[in-house]
Amino acid sequence: MIITKKRELQELMENLKNYKSFFLIGCSECASLCGTGNQEAIDSLTESLKAEGKEVTGGFVPKTGCQVLGTKVELKPFKEALDKSDCILVMSCGAGTQAAVEIFEDKPVYPTNDSLFLGNMTRFQMFDERCSLCGKCILDKTGGICPVTACPKGILNGPCGGCKDGKCEVSPDIKCAWVRIYERMKRLDKLQELCDTVLEAKDWSQNIKPRTLATRPEKKEEKKK
Amino acid sequence: MSFKDILNSGKFVVTAEVGPPKGTDIKEMIHHIELLKGKVDALNVTDNQSAVMRICSMAVCRICLDHGVEPILQMTCRDRNRIGLQSDLLGASVLNIKNVLCMTGDHVLAGDHKQAKPVYDLESVQLLGVVNSLNNGKDMSGNDLRGATDFFQGAVVTPEANPLEPQLIKFEKKVKAGAKFFQSQAIYDINRFKEFMKYARRFPVKMLAGIVVLKSAGMANFINNNVPGIRVPQELIDELKAAGKEKALDTGLNIAARHIKQLKDENICDGVHIMAIGMEDKVPIIMERAGLL
Repeated sequence: MIITKKRELQELMENLKNYKSFFLIGCSECASLCGTGNQEAIDSLTESLKAEGKEVTGGFVPKTGCQVLGTKVELKPFKEALDKSDCILVMSCGAGTQAAVEIFEDKPVYPTNDSLFLGNMTRFQMFDERCSLCGKCILDKTGGICPVTACPKGILNGPCGGCKDGKCEVSPDIKCAWVRIYERMKRLDKLQELCDTVLEAKDWSQNIKPRTLATRPEKKEEKKK
Repeated sequence: MSFKDILNSGKFVVTAEVGPPKGTDIKEMIHHIELLKGKVDALNVTDNQSAVMRICSMAVCRICLDHGVEPILQMTCRDRNRIGLQSDLLGASVLNIKNVLCMTGDHVLAGDHKQAKPVYDLESVQLLGVVNSLNNGKDMSGNDLRGATDFFQGAVVTPEANPLEPQLIKFEKKVKAGAKFFQSQAIYDINRFKEFMKYARRFPVKMLAGIVVLKSAGMANFINNNVPGIRVPQELIDELKAAGKEKALDTGLNIAARHIKQLKDENICDGVHIMAIGMEDKVPIIMERAGLL
């Protein structure tokens, strides 16, 4: 899921100083699990905005805030409250904010969160980054642990010289990705495979932004009709 | 004779290193280069060591050549992508720099520009492969070069790493990728290094043992607690302690000289790489005490 972090109120208010009334849009997916875009978060921000002398015309948690058409449909019943607001606040990730920008062409839209990374939830509202969405997965070669993400240098052929007692030079809180990969491959009795695999430099052309993808079947036939 | 030829001749080689300064005043650095001229077989020039921004390695390598000292260009993958690295390698080649030491490089967080974007488009194993490719007249994309490079390429290894085996797997990948010589991280336990060399001798590469002078027992303890891949045995710490504050550095120089002598006399490895870290003027003293001058 996309991990988001609530912005400090002071930073938020700097963006909002010229607006009076707001409609708040959360998200029932990632941002709810992060506690940044669920109903409680909307209620909490509503209180804070009121305390700052602002008006909140309404709020809603759509199912999937980054799904443009679905969110647009879900927001239809809130037309009046939306019209009354002079600014939309989006309490999900950068994708959710930009979905709202697409839906509300004539209204200012501001994010209330910073989007951090694609993460796994390890415990309640505790998140780890495990995948960098690099575009070409190498987990099949690294025992299922991603060095592009788990190593601060993202290096592909073993630990650097900064590994101390299995910990990373960047922080003793980080276990060396390549020691983890080594230990896993050893447990699976695949050390020889690890020795024999020299990974080539990554093809970053797979990572040129913005990326698009269509996975649905072509509907050319229907269009002709 | 070139560093490569000396190393291949079987002579016990000595390399040291020079750290380029931050700023354009190079008087002291040139003094160090002149001091080591004719004494060491080659001089490593560090590449923004510890991720602290300084004069680039390539320029200082050329200055070494101008002063009659053969340089080893240290090249890290931290600050340049594959285009920058290859371009600099071609540049180094036409400046007559023959030796390159391929490293991944300390993370930017270790240095003085912590907000910089770390690159690591390649890492040490891949960079060795690139050098090999340029030597064969092709760039990384397989394009023909008009004139190939002729580098003698090396890499680093950490014999005291914990855990060791993942590092050894990487060492073997570096050998396969074309590394011809290795300079090790600092070693202080010669018996343990002998064990490492029993393993390393199975590969067709030259090994230079890393020597870092201990200035005091405090420095030794600091290394043990903070520096990855280096382990100072307790008996050396005791020896430095027993020497007292005034004689600690002299004792450290003696320890370095004693280790170098043993490595040479017992033919344990092919040479040493002395990292003086700001005490370049002490390198000739160590060499003299080791019987190398």
